[in-house]
Amino acid sequence: MKAFLRNMIVVARRDFLAIVATPTFLLFLLAPLFMVGMGLAGGMGASQLADSARGAGRLVVVADQADIEDFRTADARLRTAMPREPAMLVLRVAHPATDDPVAVAREKGSDTYAVLSGPLATPRIVEREPDSSAGRYLALLAGEVLRARAAGPLPPVAAKFENLSRGGTSIAAQQSLGFGAVFVIFLLTLLLAGQTVSSLAEEKGNKVIEILAAAVPLESVFLGKLLGFLGVAVLFIAFWIMMALAGGFVAATQMDPAQIAAAGGTSKAMATLAATPAVGWPFFLGIGFAYFVLSFLLLGAVFLGVGAQAATVREIQMLSLPITIFQVAMFSLCAASASAPGSGLAAFAQIFPFSSPLAMAARAATDDAVGVHLLALGWQAIWVALVVYLSVRLFRAGVLGGRRDWRFWKRKRA
Amino acid sequence: MAPQDERKYCVKDPLLTDLAVEALGLTKYYEAFKAVDDVSLQVPTGSIYGVLGPNGAGKTTSLRMTLGIIDPDEGESRLLGGHKPQSVRHRIGYLPEERGLYPGMKAREAIAFMGALRGLDWSEGRRRAAAFMTELGLERVIDEKIRKMSKGMAQMVQLIGSIVHAPDLIVLDEPFSGLDPVNQERLETLVRRERDRGATILFSTHVMAHAERLCDRLAIIARSQRHFEGTVDEARALLPMQVRYTPRAEVGADAVAALLPADAELRGEAWHFAIDDRDVEPLLSRITASHFGVTGLSISRPALHDAFVHIVRQVDASFTADAAVEAGEEAAA
Repeated sequence: MKAFLRNMIVVARRDFLAIVATPTFLLFLLAPLFMVGMGLAGGMGASQLADSARGAGRLVVVADQADIEDFRTADARLRTAMPREPAMLVLRVAHPATDDPVAVAREKGSDTYAVLSGPLATPRIVEREPDSSAGRYLALLAGEVLRARAAGPLPPVAAKFENLSRGGTSIAAQQSLGFGAVFVIFLLTLLLAGQTVSSLAEEKGNKVIEILAAAVPLESVFLGKLLGFLGVAVLFIAFWIMMALAGGFVAATQMDPAQIAAAGGTSKAMATLAATPAVGWPFFLGIGFAYFVLSFLLLGAVFLGVGAQAATVREIQMLSLPITIFQVAMFSLCAASASAPGSGLAAFAQIFPFSSPLAMAARAATDDAVGVHLLALGWQAIWVALVVYLSVRLFRAGVLGGRRDWRFWKRKRA
Repeated sequence: MAPQDERKYCVKDPLLTDLAVEALGLTKYYEAFKAVDDVSLQVPTGSIYGVLGPNGAGKTTSLRMTLGIIDPDEGESRLLGGHKPQSVRHRIGYLPEERGLYPGMKAREAIAFMGALRGLDWSEGRRRAAAFMTELGLERVIDEKIRKMSKGMAQMVQLIGSIVHAPDLIVLDEPFSGLDPVNQERLETLVRRERDRGATILFSTHVMAHAERLCDRLAIIARSQRHFEGTVDEARALLPMQVRYTPRAEVGADAVAALLPADAELRGEAWHFAIDDRDVEPLLSRITASHFGVTGLSISRPALHDAFVHIVRQVDASFTADAAVEAGEEAAA
């Protein structure tokens, strides 16, 4: 195993330096300026997701059985008069065991904007956001119910508003974070892993492949190449993170803090960033990077194996389209699963090996379970090994002509 | 060639006990074509062993199977004391027929890289690379990129790369092709020196001169099969002695012809013919006893080239005859 790893590192080192120590690497490094455009598209997608999730939110009224029908009637009357239709109203009959409004507001599986409970004249309203339109609507609703019953004028409703102290990040924001993770990993993989398809073409073109095949196991050649390209990818990411941090620092020193605060308070993107993933930021970032590595290795191994079968540059060019489509298909699957956490689709995306890293990163945003990520990383690593193994077998059989490895039925000839 | 013919040409050496290469019954199909047919190679440790054959005979495929680069359909290969090829990769140096180097690498780095693949430390690889290149007169291109080198220089760099880690077994596939005579001479010297160091050298070629000068033993492969195995002298002994005789006296050709074997042929003033070893002394006695005298007389073994051509032509003739018989049988059927 030690020799295997050493061989792998020798190949990786060669590939890494061969890519990085060239002038064209600078062009490669600056290519992400295209990301600005792609980022805008991603932002729009995340926004749409957030909007769709918002549509799935709710307002809750916990009331006596006698008041339920009045609330329903008042809601029907008021809802149409509002300039922007409020979220769906859920009416619950008060019960000592279930009428804690804070607990109701924090129930999983739905996004609760505000909960009303207590007497109609002095209701208690628990809001997710302070001074929200949802809270004001519920106060208005209580007043409307009282007005419908009373013969004369009434004093205004004296509602007692409360905010959720912590843990109040909305599911919409978490889903946006999940989508963001899917998008970033997809984009980086699309930009960086696709290069592996032409990786072995160099060795086949300059005939070095026979030297490698004679000197070291082909598995270590394939893994070494993946590792070399991963090193390039990490360097690339580190460079742009540094650039972003430097840019942010410069901006922060040039702008008025009040302006920054104001921008942060109004920007939807900032609001999303201010949200907290279910597993917390440190773990989310760490596991996100781990999933990027696995996604890169998984898709890179597939591309490397497919590209190794190509005999000419033309064939490699022809392979680019199906490879891109494959990546986009994985992205689409994971984007859909990010908007439907807990669904069968999400479960499928998390289990299917080639979408698993993206889908699991999205899951980390909305689900606080941690142990499942270790399982997922192990599962994905197994698939990396499996893909590399099969790629090598195919390569030996097809390109090097050692078909005994897999066409076992043709081993024996008369 | 029929199996009994191969047995006739196969000279067994009872001392072949310590083998660096033991490949038995290697067979390889490419679709329906049998590229290598039951080829066995037994290379004594510390020897220089040549695999000779015409183009397309199956030399390269045999070497690749021997080294485990491709898997044989039948047969197996054991190296350096009975090990599987994959388990002793680090003790082997290999120069493939199709030369390959990364064009963007500097020569020193390319050699160190090839050494590192076999487990040699990078810095030691660089040091040895410089020493080898200096010794071979390539010191001015030590830090030159491969793409800027001539084909011959690049080939020498690759050769150094295949031996930089001081392997126990060195396999060179057509190492002399593409080299000028000076570099060919340098390569021969290098091969001998590696043998003297204790390495075993197995190389393929279709240039007989190199094989004749270098090989302790050799195998001849033609039409996918091995048809000879033995020393250079044993190969040359497959053909009778060649005699060139020029009489002194001006006598009639018929009179001289009567003295010589029936196949003697007059070319200019000299008679050319072949004789068996046992007929040399009787011939000399007849010439001495005659009054024709001797202006010129040479009796020599045929070169390895002649033995090689003889074997290959026999194989080709046998193959053509077999094909004709098969075609006739098919037509009759």
